[in-house]
Amino acid sequence: MLALAFSGLVAITFGLASFYATDHFGLYASANIAGGSVALAIGAVLGARRARGAGGPHARAVIARGLTRILFCLLLAVTIERVAAWSGVALDFTQERSFEFEPATIEACRALPGLRATLFYDPLDPRVRRTRLLLATLARHCDVETAERVIDDALLDAERFEVTSSNTVVLESGKRFETVGRPSEGTLYEGLYRLRSLDSGVLTVLRGDGAGDLQSYRETGYSGLANALETEGYRLLSIVSPALTAVPDETTALLVNAPQRQLPAVALGAIRSYLASGGRMVALLEPGLTSGIESVLAEYGIEALDGVVVDPMFATPERSALGPSVISNSYETHLVTRGLNRNRMTFFPSTRAFRLRKPQVSDRLVRLVLASHLSWVAESPGALAEGASADAKETRRQYHTIVAAGRYERKGRRIRIVAFGSSRFASNRHLRTLFNLDLIVNAVHWVAEREPEIAIRPKIRSTVQFPLPIESSLATLYGVGLLVPEILLIGGGVVWLRRRHS
Amino acid sequence: MTALRALIRKEIASLFGTPTAWLTLTMVALVTALIFFDHLRLYNQLLFAYASTTMGGFASDTIPDYINLWDMVFFPVMEQLGLTLLGAVPLVTMRVFSEERSRGTDELLLSTSLTPGQIVLGKFAVTFGFVALMMAVSFVYPATAIERGGLGAMHLVVVFAGLTLLAIGLASIGLVCSAFTSSQLLAAMLGWAMAFLLWDFGWVQPFVSEGFASVLDAISLHPRYGAFSEGIVSPGDVAYFAALAIVAFGAVRFSFDLRRVG
Repeated sequence: MLALAFSGLVAITFGLASFYATDHFGLYASANIAGGSVALAIGAVLGARRARGAGGPHARAVIARGLTRILFCLLLAVTIERVAAWSGVALDFTQERSFEFEPATIEACRALPGLRATLFYDPLDPRVRRTRLLLATLARHCDVETAERVIDDALLDAERFEVTSSNTVVLESGKRFETVGRPSEGTLYEGLYRLRSLDSGVLTVLRGDGAGDLQSYRETGYSGLANALETEGYRLLSIVSPALTAVPDETTALLVNAPQRQLPAVALGAIRSYLASGGRMVALLEPGLTSGIESVLAEYGIEALDGVVVDPMFATPERSALGPSVISNSYETHLVTRGLNRNRMTFFPSTRAFRLRKPQVSDRLVRLVLASHLSWVAESPGALAEGASADAKETRRQYHTIVAAGRYERKGRRIRIVAFGSSRFASNRHLRTLFNLDLIVNAVHWVAEREPEIAIRPKIRSTVQFPLPIESSLATLYGVGLLVPEILLIGGGVVWLRRRHS
Repeated sequence: MTALRALIRKEIASLFGTPTAWLTLTMVALVTALIFFDHLRLYNQLLFAYASTTMGGFASDTIPDYINLWDMVFFPVMEQLGLTLLGAVPLVTMRVFSEERSRGTDELLLSTSLTPGQIVLGKFAVTFGFVALMMAVSFVYPATAIERGGLGAMHLVVVFAGLTLLAIGLASIGLVCSAFTSSQLLAAMLGWAMAFLLWDFGWVQPFVSEGFASVLDAISLHPRYGAFSEGIVSPGDVAYFAALAIVAFGAVRFSFDLRRVG
């Protein structure tokens, strides 16, 4: 009986092991599980027949008490588990809190009643487990109905929703849908935002004169910024700057993205009259370029300094600069910088600095983003060389303003301007670095007087793609990883030998 | 309480008096270190390969999503260590009750002032303590490596908490198997078979109704500890392992009743 049961167990174990190893119920697995089950069942029947002797009244009472106790334990266990599961609590210990949603995501989801999220997946795709957790988290926060479809079983729907690969979520609201590939909180947020189809107004963009191209998908282009602004509900209207004689009436705000040549006087005049009539402008400058926009900004008290800001704060431990890049985590309190703090940094590959002087007492000029107190403005290119130090400073070290905002009232008309000392920080290469996207999009929302839309957006990419130095890992492997088992083995051997001899 | 303390002391002494305990500790610590280092090495190599061939650096969005610490290190390490525990834990639990039975010392134990419940409690405590020690020892290297890299220490703690709970769950199953036989080999074999069976009922799903499949899914080990690799702790998952230990306690206690009636 025992041998039969033992053989049955071995067969079942090997059958299941082969299934887990191959993920396939082949002949080997099926035969082992079926044969093993039969052997185990026969062994159990034989065992039960042998145990018939334990059928006296006293024995029955003892067994009944024991079984009642087991039943009680089972009930207790199920109750504990169900109560804990019912609570729906999930504690997020991931480094970047991947499963704690930003308020912006929750708000976007809540703004879409009757939302449905369907995950299209391949059963062998390991990424699906994370997406399931994301959807479960979303469902905890807002009214969303979630579903799952295996792609191969739902080819027609997959084609209808333009699903091209596994691990894709389709968000549906009414008859509209958005397909989100590689789901993360960031991509789901953008999908939700597009579904809301907000109309935030018209953003007129100056192009020509070498200005940053919002249609270019190259690393130096700005198509990412254009997409982000369209996602937030802006309609982009491009105007060639040499042909600009008047800013269109429908313009909600004007975006000037670092023209590389002098703008025609007519175009500058058009911008001046647009602002004077209560216009709103976001201006991105770039070190070493003069377009005439600087003079317009200066009229509103935002004076762009020549040269480039050098900030060694995040450079080498010796505090020598690695070039003109600035990583900033100093922000003044303002709606544009709401949500940004010491740990939410912005990156500027190179930037100019501003000096602020209020043209009128009633004007409100604010330094939004600052380089560190160690920064200086270098005018000569030599000061940008790697390893540039304090000796090379050309202006004194201080907090330099690299983004500024102004609010003005002229003849009863309200004017809003945000000026950035850098344009490349919003290029495709750097837009999604750190919190750059939030800064530029929030600035546009502020000048467009769409303050409720100002938010910190969830990040699309994972932030855990950092290397771990291999030398350090090797040292740890030798120092701890191998040493601990070695000591255990020696210690165990000594203890066992001593006991054996004693 | 004095008798219970004496039982615990005796259990610890007999556990660490055998080479099996030391070998298991060594094996799990060594396997953890090698698996972890291997995945860390592969992760670093791929990361640098992508960063250097494109000359784009780490901010250029050219590194594929799947090359990250979770998918390339934490998750596979947890999967492989889970399977290692599945093999190792029944080796620890096989002797706990069956050895007493085969030697007849369980009768002696019952003749002391200890109740069967206390005996079960004492043996469970020592076994759970041992598997927790096993995971703590194997945690030292990964924790040191991650801490030196300045990354995700809390996430790693959660990964090992999940593994420790899995080890406790497997120990609960192993103790039940050990309590119903006097053969250590059969106890180990039974422990492996039960653990494999409870590991994941995904394979049964095509043959049963949806409702029954969801019940089977709820009692499977793998989905329960899988969430820990994501850095997520749900009270439901923790309670599942506690529930497993409670049921195991009841079953082992029942084995003492069965002994009384023959």
